Amino acid sequence: MVIPAPRVQVPASAAKGEVFQVKALIPHSMETGLRYDEQGAIIPRKIINKFTCRYGDAVIFGADIHESVSANPYIEFYVRATDSGSLEFIWEEDGGGVFRLEHTLTVS
Amino acid sequence: MSMVESTRAILSSRRKLLITAAACSTAVLLPRGVRANDDAIGPVELITRLTGKTPAWSDRVRLDMPRVFPNGYSVPLALAIDSAMTEAEHVRRARVFAPRNPLIEVAAFQFIPQRSEPRVSTRIRLAEPQYVLAVAEMNDGSLLLNKAWVEVSSNGCK
Repeated sequence: MVIPAPRVQVPASAAKGEVFQVKALIPHSMETGLRYDEQGAIIPRKIINKFTCRYGDAVIFGADIHESVSANPYIEFYVRATDSGSLEFIWEEDGGGVFRLEHTLTVS
Repeated sequence: MSMVESTRAILSSRRKLLITAAACSTAVLLPRGVRANDDAIGPVELITRLTGKTPAWSDRVRLDMPRVFPNGYSVPLALAIDSAMTEAEHVRRARVFAPRNPLIEVAAFQFIPQRSEPRVSTRIRLAEPQYVLAVAEMNDGSLLLNKAWVEVSSNGCK
């Protein structure tokens, strides 16, 4: 199985109080559980069901994702720069898979 | 009771049961042929049944989607809610529903006052032309609702 390689686009630095954009994408087929294979058996659901962004110690954005989100789920959201520190992006998959990325942000 | 009437009665109670079941589960599943926005159930009624609260239509919720889009597999969606995002006044969560999809709940986004803005973009699947609904849950418990009509020409849920 190919391990999905998520990617994010985040600025390296921001002014204190500034709101910056984050673009997050993970390659994933988002199998809905509604499709059948050639033998007529249902293809089990396997989707990214949750995305979380932590900034320092706090969760500052989250998304509960259901079957109607497109394959290769893409989320663009907006964060206020408070302190220099790490941003952690976490994708959770059906069956317990967890994929993470970390980014260091400098706030001046 | 005629055959037609009894079938209607069964369908009607089955629908109520399914909607109640849907409201209780995290994955909102309405089987094919039983649709939450059958003419009898409008968006306000649907959201009321799903959440237990009556939403109010509001222009503070802005749901931007293309009116016409060829590909139902990946329809752009942009959602923004007017809010100061202070401790006293903020959006807790925004939910998106596609009532004519086989699974109507699309996504829910959580925002934190002073840390994230109530604004998000993503891409969603749509099975057929329909009104997509966005509901903002405010910190005082109120629900604000808005909708966007999208005409897709291919079924993104197959």
